[in-house]
Amino acid sequence: MSSRIITWLRAALLACVVGLAGAPAWAAGSAEAAVAATAADGGLIQPGNNAEAFRSARRGEHQSITFAAPADRMLIQSEGQTWRMWRNGPITQWGGWLLAAVFVALVLFRLIRGRIDLEGAPTGRLIERFNRVERTAHWTLAVTFVVLALSGLTLLFGKHVIIPLIGYDAFSWFARLAKNLHNLTGPLFFASTVVFVLMFARDNVWQAIDALWIRKAGGLLTGEHVPSWRFNFGEKTWFWIGVVILGLLVGATGLILDFPGNGQTRQDMQLAHLIHAGGAILFIALSLGHIYIGTVGMEGAMDGMKSGYVDETWAREHHEYWYRQAKDATPARPAAPPRAAASATR
Amino acid sequence: MARMKFLCDAERCIECNGCVTACKNEHEVPWGIQRRRVVTINDGVVGKEKSLSVACMHCTDAPCMAVCPVDVFYRTEDGVVLHDKDACIGCGYCFYACPFGAPQFPQEGAFGQRGKMDKCTFCAGGPEADGSDAELEKYGRNRLAEGKLPLCAEMCSTKALLAGDAQTVSDIFRERVVRRGGAGAEAIGWNTAYGSGEQKREQTRGGDK
Repeated sequence: MSSRIITWLRAALLACVVGLAGAPAWAAGSAEAAVAATAADGGLIQPGNNAEAFRSARRGEHQSITFAAPADRMLIQSEGQTWRMWRNGPITQWGGWLLAAVFVALVLFRLIRGRIDLEGAPTGRLIERFNRVERTAHWTLAVTFVVLALSGLTLLFGKHVIIPLIGYDAFSWFARLAKNLHNLTGPLFFASTVVFVLMFARDNVWQAIDALWIRKAGGLLTGEHVPSWRFNFGEKTWFWIGVVILGLLVGATGLILDFPGNGQTRQDMQLAHLIHAGGAILFIALSLGHIYIGTVGMEGAMDGMKSGYVDETWAREHHEYWYRQAKDATPARPAAPPRAAASATR
Repeated sequence: MARMKFLCDAERCIECNGCVTACKNEHEVPWGIQRRRVVTINDGVVGKEKSLSVACMHCTDAPCMAVCPVDVFYRTEDGVVLHDKDACIGCGYCFYACPFGAPQFPQEGAFGQRGKMDKCTFCAGGPEADGSDAELEKYGRNRLAEGKLPLCAEMCSTKALLAGDAQTVSDIFRERVVRRGGAGAEAIGWNTAYGSGEQKREQTRGGDK
């Protein structure tokens, strides 16, 4: 009974994480509603109080410009202030603390739990986990992601973190490099996300056994091995919430910002930027967990993406159902250490 | 030290765009950039039409300065908000944040990539040496260093656009409001900020309107 409640609680937590991505859009909408509401009770305006004139000026009503500057067609735009408050407020501050907290949590996890080692001895028999096309798709996505994440974080936090270290002139040069890298890598990231999602969606569909993983929290704290098919529930969560929802959201809003002059207004770009930056912070926070477990956090986890082959022991311990299925599907491989196999496949 | 301000008198502005032209000519601004613009409200509606000339308002709490990721903005002793084009990376954040549409970008290179931001300097140039060629090339003329006020206001044919120390500008404006019997008072004062009440009655007793 209590295990069912815990399952529900975990699902609710997951929903909160997804919900956060949509929060800026909702908040911007409610701010507009608030402005409309105050304007609606215009009947209460006191004589001599000219606030309504300013409100209508900010709404841009009945305004015209003979020689319109390309940038602007209204007297005062208030949305910029909303954008500033969100960008300099929650996104920079909460976002920064969130990333720091995730990093500290991973360090603590490593110190307390240690590396997740193989329990059995490696058999030396290898099973193919990712073929060459899949690995190419993954590493294209991974490299573009890291470039974008680092350059994006430079633009958001550099003023507070890097300027004090390297100075104003050097940072300006560095930030220009970051901006151009970010703008040029962005479209490639979006394209590779789409390819990646199509390639891996099928094996990431939720399966009955995932309930067990949720109930045992993946055995992350207990050290118990929970069986799964090709991907366990943790990987699936990273896939659906990280790559699919946040990746496509951040990628699509990035394209809106990257290619101005296609009819998007400044307000569209402000909203796109808030979703882009907020989503990217969550995406980076999740990616830290993925990168940790894929590299230093678990013995043998890197092999699958490096060489394409994993040891049978690793497969049995971490993906038991998939192991039983794949063992029969893959032709028997000669016993060889993973490194030799890696060079052989190139 | 002075606190520089622009003020446009909506009762006087006739939408001639002389300020826009004066600015473009004085500073030789890049093609497609317009540091100043005239906005007309209720165009063609008799008795309700009002025009205002707008540029950078040199805010005290400047949003551009707050959001710039490379910190190129600075405030001079006269309260003028200036920026360093050499360090500008062309991200466009100041353009998102500014309420007055002051920051503008010349298009440069592929994908609508932005060049260095350009905006009104209150005719005060940039970080380069006052009156230097580099300053003229990047920011236009530095009239303040020559002891002159912004050209847009100097050339305004109806003297609707005022530029200068806040105290002097508001003294001129206050005198105008009193002389013409109140019109334009909505731009300043207690009532605009807080509505009617004791102050409204005092103002009426004082013979204003």
